[in-house]
Amino acid sequence: MRAASAEEGLRRRRRAVRLAPYALALPAAALAAVFVYGVVVGVLQGFGIMPSLGMNAFTFDYYAQALARPDFTASIGYSLYLSAVSSAIALAGGVLLAWALTTMRARTAVRMASLQVPILTMHALVALAVAFLFSGSGLVSRLLADPAAQSAAQSAFSVVGDPSGWGIVAVYAWKEIPYVAFCTVTIMMHVSGTLGEAAAMSGASPARSFFSVTLPLCAPAAVQAFVVVAAFSFGSYEVVYLLGPTYPKTLPVLAYMEFQDPDLVNRCYAMALNGITTGVCALTAAVYFIAARVQRRQEGSRG
Amino acid sequence: MARRKGRGASRAAACVLVAVQLAIVVVTLGVMAVWSFADAWPWPQLAPQAWSLRGYAIVFSGSSDGWPSLALSVGIGAASSLVATVAGAMGARAVCCHEWRGKGVFRLATMLPFLIPGTVFAMGVQVAFIRMGLARTVPGVVLAHAIVALPYASALMIDVVRARGTRLDDAARLLGAGRVATLFQVSIPSLAPGLLSALSMGFIISCSQYFLTLLVGGGKVRTFALAMFPYVAGGDRTIAAAYGVIFMVVTLAVFCVFRLLLRRLSWNADDAVLYE
Repeated sequence: MRAASAEEGLRRRRRAVRLAPYALALPAAALAAVFVYGVVVGVLQGFGIMPSLGMNAFTFDYYAQALARPDFTASIGYSLYLSAVSSAIALAGGVLLAWALTTMRARTAVRMASLQVPILTMHALVALAVAFLFSGSGLVSRLLADPAAQSAAQSAFSVVGDPSGWGIVAVYAWKEIPYVAFCTVTIMMHVSGTLGEAAAMSGASPARSFFSVTLPLCAPAAVQAFVVVAAFSFGSYEVVYLLGPTYPKTLPVLAYMEFQDPDLVNRCYAMALNGITTGVCALTAAVYFIAARVQRRQEGSRG
Repeated sequence: MARRKGRGASRAAACVLVAVQLAIVVVTLGVMAVWSFADAWPWPQLAPQAWSLRGYAIVFSGSSDGWPSLALSVGIGAASSLVATVAGAMGARAVCCHEWRGKGVFRLATMLPFLIPGTVFAMGVQVAFIRMGLARTVPGVVLAHAIVALPYASALMIDVVRARGTRLDDAARLLGAGRVATLFQVSIPSLAPGLLSALSMGFIISCSQYFLTLLVGGGKVRTFALAMFPYVAGGDRTIAAAYGVIFMVVTLAVFCVFRLLLRRLSWNADDAVLYE
């Protein structure tokens, strides 16, 4: 009797141990499931499946329509261009800033002000500040103003609505350089304090020790941050809406325009555009996971 | 000798770079602060011609919903960051301390909101939330914000849990502490630096959401970001700047509170550096 109950208890314990990770993972998995559900419902609408409207037939029509749009090429090209330029600047600038903070052994307060403050500033506010500085009536235009000019309309340049998109890039750079630096500076300080120091002791020049030791070890973290920035700048709405030109529009702005259309069938069209956005981001995601795997392997080999 | 000179030069370059970065941050936010107090700033004057508190007065007057939207933002930020942090911390324990089937899929799933843009999620989830009765409700917005904050919380907590392990928890259990006592007296305090970082990050992310809040809340859940956006998008510059300054002050204040707590709680200075 007692032996049986002991065995029963043991079995129960074993089951509890086996189920423990699933119980722990449950809340996060539930949140992720809602996310996936939302994305899938959207993607299905892109294929013409909207049960609430009685549409159940799978079709590629909306994708075909989206791809055939006259402004589609310009739109996806512009989105890719903005995202690529912004995230490349963020990566290079972020690593550089992390290097600078590491090299000068910046105090916590300095790191807070140069990294945390930009991270907690909302994108739309950075866009506002960039407009204050660089719009037609902005501070820089005032500084450069021809005294004869009578109004802001005659000023030489304006960041708002400029098709080159440099204002948008400036906002993303302002926000994401500190983000990339934030993601790399901790590991960089650690590596440069240990292995970098060892390299220097063995006679490596600061440049060589940085490029051969510190940078390769920080690369996975930097690349992961880069991918997050790339996906974000490709798919976000506010900054492009605030500072972007009327033509070309980026994919998310285009999709939201169609989404708002009173005709609900246009939603399928919006979702097809979103599906294309998701596809592009999935490609970058693949890069992310390869980087993550490389990092995990490195961590493994480091013990 | 030459080497030492090289090191000095790179140190100087580093200081210049950091100074430039600090200057950019200060100038950008400074311009916003100046505009928030400007009453009249005609082109091409380099300084405002008249100063006033008009912007702030309008934000907090009855005509604009400054106070209620600020309170709502703080509430939603607190709730969603708590949900994301608890989920992230539990998930991190599952990932770091257990071997189980589906772990890889789970990690991928929690990172998805990093990789698929919020706009795609927002437009898709709107219909789903209408079906679930969560659209245009505060709980719906909290849930959506928690989802967006989840990857940050997960990544942070996985780092912290991996560094900590479960040695302290195991020791406490071996010494006879109950589950609840172990959780509150050992696990949570030992993860406190990560938990606080995840909470403050989640709060910031929640406060900054415009598009997602607009779609999920249907314009009915008016957070501070929603109240602010029309002014930023081409309304009155003084009011927009006043909104911006208040947003910065509130998020910075919350961030500083978390920093102070973090410093208090971390007995080990290295940890504080690692997780800030």
